[in-house]
Amino acid sequence: MKRISDQLAQRAEISAEKQLRSVPEDQLFDYAPRSEAAAERTGYSNYSYWGSTFRMFGKKRIALALLVVLVVLVTFTFIQPYLPGQYPATKIINHPITGKQMSNIGPATTTEIATAPEGTGLVVTPWQDEEWLAVSNVLATIPARKAITVTEHLDQWVKVDVDGKSGYVRNDFTTKLKMPDDPQNVPYESRSNFAIKLFSTPMDYTQGGNELFVRRDDVRVSGDGLTATTVRNASLRLLPTEAPFLFGTNNAGQDLWGMVWSGTRTSLFIGFVVALIEAAVGILVGVIWGYVRKVDRVMTEIYNVINNIPTTIVLILIAYVLRPGIFSLIFAMTLTGWVSMARFIRNQIVIIRDRDYNMASRCLGTGTLRIITRNLLPYLVSVIMLRMALAIPGAIGSEVFITYIGLGLPLSIPSLGNLITVGRKFVSTPQSYQLLFPTIVLSIVTVSFYIIGNSFADAADPRNHV
Amino acid sequence: MLKYILKRVAAAVLTLIIILSVVFILVRQMPIEGYFDNFDKLDKAVIDARLQQMGLRDPIFTQMKNFFGALLRGDLGTSARYSVGASISDIIVKKAPISIRMGVLSMALSLGLGIPLGGAMARSKSKLWDKFGTVFIVLVNAVPAAVYYIFLQAYGSNALGISMLFEESNPVSWILPVFSMSLGSIAYYAMWLRRYMLDEMNKDYVKLARAKGVKNSTVTMQHVFRNAFVPMIQYIPSTLLFTISGSIYIESLYSIPGMGGLLVDVISRQDNPMVQALVMIYSCIGIIGMLLGDVLMVLIDPRISFARKAEVR
Repeated sequence: MKRISDQLAQRAEISAEKQLRSVPEDQLFDYAPRSEAAAERTGYSNYSYWGSTFRMFGKKRIALALLVVLVVLVTFTFIQPYLPGQYPATKIINHPITGKQMSNIGPATTTEIATAPEGTGLVVTPWQDEEWLAVSNVLATIPARKAITVTEHLDQWVKVDVDGKSGYVRNDFTTKLKMPDDPQNVPYESRSNFAIKLFSTPMDYTQGGNELFVRRDDVRVSGDGLTATTVRNASLRLLPTEAPFLFGTNNAGQDLWGMVWSGTRTSLFIGFVVALIEAAVGILVGVIWGYVRKVDRVMTEIYNVINNIPTTIVLILIAYVLRPGIFSLIFAMTLTGWVSMARFIRNQIVIIRDRDYNMASRCLGTGTLRIITRNLLPYLVSVIMLRMALAIPGAIGSEVFITYIGLGLPLSIPSLGNLITVGRKFVSTPQSYQLLFPTIVLSIVTVSFYIIGNSFADAADPRNHV
Repeated sequence: MLKYILKRVAAAVLTLIIILSVVFILVRQMPIEGYFDNFDKLDKAVIDARLQQMGLRDPIFTQMKNFFGALLRGDLGTSARYSVGASISDIIVKKAPISIRMGVLSMALSLGLGIPLGGAMARSKSKLWDKFGTVFIVLVNAVPAAVYYIFLQAYGSNALGISMLFEESNPVSWILPVFSMSLGSIAYYAMWLRRYMLDEMNKDYVKLARAKGVKNSTVTMQHVFRNAFVPMIQYIPSTLLFTISGSIYIESLYSIPGMGGLLVDVISRQDNPMVQALVMIYSCIGIIGMLLGDVLMVLIDPRISFARKAEVR
């Protein structure tokens, strides 16, 4: 006997069926989208090694951020010389008037020393080119003990008349003007025991005697060519250029900004070439060592000998014997560097060369070269890349070390190593920026490579994949 | 085991001979100025006579034979520029003790700080100590030593209120050089100890010990640390190796009158015989360091087997 609930359920089913039949067939079914989770539950996997590697790498925020930083930095290093307003890296910048080197100018984002408001009177000094005019706001130098008439008292400055000229004179300990009891009660006579400067404005734009440069468009030169008046707010500049010394200049008067990027280029070049050579030689030797059984014993002995030699000593000795230069440094660094790579490749090849798929491949008549390039090496790409990524900071560090002990690149080829070695002398002086900027760039480059390399290695390790 | 050690020693001696010969031949390629302290003022006849006298005009094999003979008698030759006519062995005997003292101190410091740091990192995975240690390790490994040594010297001496240079009689001035020298090794020990301890913690015997109810601290000390430390022993002699490179730098940075600073000095003065002697001494130290590492490893770890496995070929 049927229970009532069953009858109810049956009735409900029938009505549901009726409802479904009334729906057109093409609306009955939906395409199920692919779902990773569902696929995994059924055991299906479209696992792709590189896909997983990049997914894992993408999860590491810091490494990803550093990768972006590094790409931007490396790109910038290479386009920097072609940007407008750059000083050539090793060019010694001389002052156009005095001819002196522009040494140890602090870092700044502009060459502007001061802004002169519209209508400022300036004295033209005899130097000019098509665009720029050398000026000064020092109208004259008043000899010591000459009487001057003070017409206005402005606390730090006083407005004076002397020899028919009107201008401003500093009123502080440098001039020690003789003042009456009530200095506000103008006019009165005054004098100084020193030679003093008469300025056109109550401000010393020259900051103690610098020459100033102003754009021709910004001033109107008087008929006799001796004075000029600004026609708008004019920038008074240190040099007849708008290109600033962003990182300052060094002791020799070279632009540190240009030097640092040029040095980064050199150091990166050394790093990349060392990494490439180590990889190329290491892979070649490692593959032969691992694949050809006859050479294994000999190669192992050679490896033991080379691996026993302290790397630092090789570096020092080769750099000492060869003339210093980029290529002798690269040679010294790669001389022993390839060994560990070769050893690593050899170990991996020995592990995978006799796997079944390689046996099968060999039985089918695949050539040795094809087995190596198609069956073996793709397994090792991730690790080779890791080794290369770590070789770059290593090489850059070695360059710094070898330069420090006096065997590095000459100063005519800027590198991060010789910039740091030079900057080291300024470490506890106001010029410490000469050490700081190369160091910061160097640290960003090496730390980025190190972290990216390690994160990539973690990501490329199949054990970390799902 | 004895056979292995003998073989290893033989390999080291062979390496040493090869390296000494290579160094010798390479230094022969240097310009002859490096054998005279006043080359520009001498005329050709005198130079020739002196070169003859020093045996530098002999065929290279005769030179090498004489050189190895002298080496066996403990004679490293005489300095040409650095301290004219002085025996190199005498100079080095005077300079070596201070380098050795600094090296030993820095090794003690790096073991004393690196191992606790590594242990703390392994025990607090992904927590404060681990994060701090990771940042420290990355910085020390990635930033060239040359750079952080300079900053440590400048700001460290400022903070401690001491002179930037080294004075032997003033023990406070030892702090910075020894500490800088050990930074690299601290990071090295911490990194590897952490890795080995983490590997060890995931092993079944540790899980069993935990399941048995052994106290956490006992498991860490008695099982994990002891087993993880074995592979570390191999690194201890190579720390010595590392302090070589470190001390070249640091000794000249702090003007420490030791061997490393001496190497930088003689390189800048292009004193060929001295460079040759010092490079040889450093390679010896390096090779002996590696040899000791391998031998120690064999003596301590009973799991290393010496029977050659039947190779499947």
